[in-house]
Amino acid sequence: MSSEHQQWLSAASDNQPLTKAQLDQLLADSELQQQLDRYQLVGAVLRREQSPLNADFATDFANLLADEPEYHLNSSRSLSQRVSQFVVQAANGSWLQPVAQGAVAAGVAVLAVIGMQQYQQPQTDVTSPLPVLHTQPIGGFYTPVSLSQTTVEDRFAEQERQAMLEQQQRLQVLLNAHRQQVRVMEQSRQASQTTERSEQQPEQ
Amino acid sequence: MRFSGFCSALILVSLSAAVSAEQTAWDLFDKVQHAVKQYNFDASFVVLKGTKVDTYRWLHGKTEQHEIEHLIPLDTSGVDILRRDALVYYLLADRPPFVTRSDSIAELPAVLFEPRANIEQLYHAVAGSSSVMSGRTAQLLRLTAKDNGRYDYWLWLDDQTGFPLRIDTMSEQQNALERWLVTHMQIAPELPEGLVALLQTDLPAAPELAGATNVAGKSHQLNWLPQGYTEVSEPAALPQLDSNLLSYWLLSDGLHQVSVFVQNSQRLPTQAYRDGATTIYVQSGSQVEVTVIGPVSIDTARQLAAAVH
Repeated sequence: MSSEHQQWLSAASDNQPLTKAQLDQLLADSELQQQLDRYQLVGAVLRREQSPLNADFATDFANLLADEPEYHLNSSRSLSQRVSQFVVQAANGSWLQPVAQGAVAAGVAVLAVIGMQQYQQPQTDVTSPLPVLHTQPIGGFYTPVSLSQTTVEDRFAEQERQAMLEQQQRLQVLLNAHRQQVRVMEQSRQASQTTERSEQQPEQ
Repeated sequence: MRFSGFCSALILVSLSAAVSAEQTAWDLFDKVQHAVKQYNFDASFVVLKGTKVDTYRWLHGKTEQHEIEHLIPLDTSGVDILRRDALVYYLLADRPPFVTRSDSIAELPAVLFEPRANIEQLYHAVAGSSSVMSGRTAQLLRLTAKDNGRYDYWLWLDDQTGFPLRIDTMSEQQNALERWLVTHMQIAPELPEGLVALLQTDLPAAPELAGATNVAGKSHQLNWLPQGYTEVSEPAALPQLDSNLLSYWLLSDGLHQVSVFVQNSQRLPTQAYRDGATTIYVQSGSQVEVTVIGPVSIDTARQLAAAVH
């Protein structure tokens, strides 16, 4: 029986009017009639009217419960236990550790992003620029998929850093050379003027 | 007839106003150059390059016969620089001083010392509004570049003396790339105390004006120069780079200098850096690497690097 039926039936037991169709349905269906009867009974008991129930109703009900078979609801719990046990084993094993760490990092990153967005939202107005998120921690969690790959990445980053440092040193040398040129330029200009003059003089 | 007469009068008036405005601006420019060349002063300034800050003390004295100028970096890493008339001494701690001939110290803003004629060729001068700076009334003077790719200068001068209080080097997008800011300044009728002794001190003689040796046999050609720039015919030798320097050019527009280095390729990506208003542009190719260093926009540096063949 659907809850929709129970609803209008329950309403009917509280002296709410019925439509013609509902009344026809009730007259046709004996099960609905019994249902209405039970609702009236519940209502009578709740209103502490003179109870139509016999005196040993409670005892009968207790006997009924005693006869009820035992339901094993813990079967589903054992499934979740099995899953969690598997995850614990896997997490202790070497292959899942980076993933687990990644997951933690991702969790933190997502938390940070959400936290930041929530923090930013009340301050946002039309004139202020869009909030800039630091993408570094978010990007970070993609890389440590396996241990071997992380070390390769690290080594690569190290090499890149080294190359960057060398590049900057080279550029510093060039920058110093440029500054030196600017310092002595006036002198070079005077020098070239004197040489030009001394070259011109013999011709005159 | 009367209307056209009125119009032409209006045009004449506005034209003359524009001309006189430019004239007042150049008068201000003369005033600032006069102040830094003629006054006895003791000043301190900072140079702001992004997050980097350099602090200097700057002393200048003028007697009837001599001019003396002392630039002292207040950071430990710098070098004391002394100028006596047309000789500049870099006083190094562990070596004999390095001496060169120049009428100004290259570490000071060149715009304060270069002849007005040079700067008039490159810039329009516009007098701006006045404001209060370090408790003094400061008059703004804007030098706006005539060509693209050259940075603008905004100078704030002390209204009373003409002394520069602040110089901003502005990018084409009107962002301050480098800020030169006076933090303390005292103009006196007498020579600053520290300079009197320095005027008498024995210093090494000037270097011989030997014809500068050519850097390296140039193995490349430079096909394009930025507007207003010419090649400096004989730049000084660069012994520290000789081993791997293939070609070198020094370009100048009279106010700024740009260096172009050609070296063997290091197979690194093309990159651009900035040190205040100085652009450092590295263009990598399969064979050679071109590095352009100078106060030009990145676009100009890129064009210049591309012009090396």
